Amino acid sequence: MSRRALRITMIVLATVGLGVASYLTYVHYSGSPPVCTAGGSCLKVQTSIYSKLAGVPVALMGLIGYIAILASLLAPENETSRFATLAFAIAGFGFSAYLTYRELFSIHAVCEWCASSAAIMTILMLLAVWRFLRGEAPPYESPHVKPAEGPQAAHVSAS
Amino acid sequence: MSPVEDPESDLTRKQRREQARAQRKAVEEASATQSAQRKRLIQLGGIAGVVVVIIAIILVATGSGGSKGAPAPKSPAANAAAASVISLLQGIPQNGITLGNASAPVTIQYFGDLECPICKQFTLGALPSVIQKYVRTGKVKIEYRSMQTATRERETFQTQQVAALAAGKQNLMWHYIELFYHEQGEEGSGYVTESYLQGLAAQVPGLSLSNWSSARNDPAYANQVISDAQAANQSGFTGTPSFLIGKTGGSMQKLENPSLTDASSFEPVIEKLLKG
Repeated sequence: MSRRALRITMIVLATVGLGVASYLTYVHYSGSPPVCTAGGSCLKVQTSIYSKLAGVPVALMGLIGYIAILASLLAPENETSRFATLAFAIAGFGFSAYLTYRELFSIHAVCEWCASSAAIMTILMLLAVWRFLRGEAPPYESPHVKPAEGPQAAHVSAS
Repeated sequence: MSPVEDPESDLTRKQRREQARAQRKAVEEASATQSAQRKRLIQLGGIAGVVVVIIAIILVATGSGGSKGAPAPKSPAANAAAASVISLLQGIPQNGITLGNASAPVTIQYFGDLECPICKQFTLGALPSVIQKYVRTGKVKIEYRSMQTATRERETFQTQQVAALAAGKQNLMWHYIELFYHEQGEEGSGYVTESYLQGLAAQVPGLSLSNWSSARNDPAYANQVISDAQAANQSGFTGTPSFLIGKTGGSMQKLENPSLTDASSFEPVIEKLLKG
């Protein structure tokens, strides 16, 4: 995959994740039940005691995380911006892993919106690691130029 | 033999120099690439390590199951509470949120917050007398309604009240709320964790935990909590416990700030309604 294609893929994924997190944040503040095919699982997760961390809704944290990832991807590509994407993606993946653990072992309900965000974040993290370890593109090698000879050499010697 | 070398050998030496330079450059570049790669791997490891530590702190802080200020399930205190609750409610019919005979002539609506310490005082103080004297005898039925006061987080309130309502699907809600009040932790200490709620459910005799768990997903209970809040608001209640009392099926009157330790605030009102 070319560097450009990789970056565009990550931007698309981060945008989709941003959409999911925006919806969950809206649902949290509006108090309306989330659209969910798995019965009341989403509502149970959304209204559980784990839906906030230190008083901040986890959906809002996800939204901020995706904005940070997207901003680092849209910034001019260099070692620093790749590192920033990596750091945000690993933090997002760790947080998603924690929330998935809570869904499975504490709340005993899985919210499909949260699961899709966790899947997006996992793919983003893997791509960010790959992109970071690949590093800079190799420098452009100019075609070999044959040393000047003949008239140019004569010109040099004449001067 | 002239010391001056011929152009051909000079060109060869130049080529050799260029070759050596290219080799040196290649080695330097490989070394730089290796060093950059090593640096990236260290940075990657560092970030992963920091994230793992932060998540571990969050896991510990949000509780891996332990509850602060509330007795641990199966502890002597919890066993004593369970025995007291079972004895109080033994033989009294329950139906969803209602304790008592469905055809009881008088209805009391009890608006409470499961984390409210004043509700605890009332539930352990005055309520048993009302239950023994009027509910057990079929004269009064009590409906439990949710009203958020002491619980700080809306999500926690919703979760705990729905947990109690879900036990009502097996007609055991009153066991659950009585146990909650008996084992109530220190206000604001964050003792209401998922394992605390499950620990209470495990103490309710005859409650199927799998049915209770799936009932908690029923949106009807979440909606019940919301409609209770609206009813409390319409009645103008500002604190818990608050009560509405009246003839079953008739109009209800407010009863606020009752005695928390005995049934003296209820008795005259109930007697009047029973006679009237």
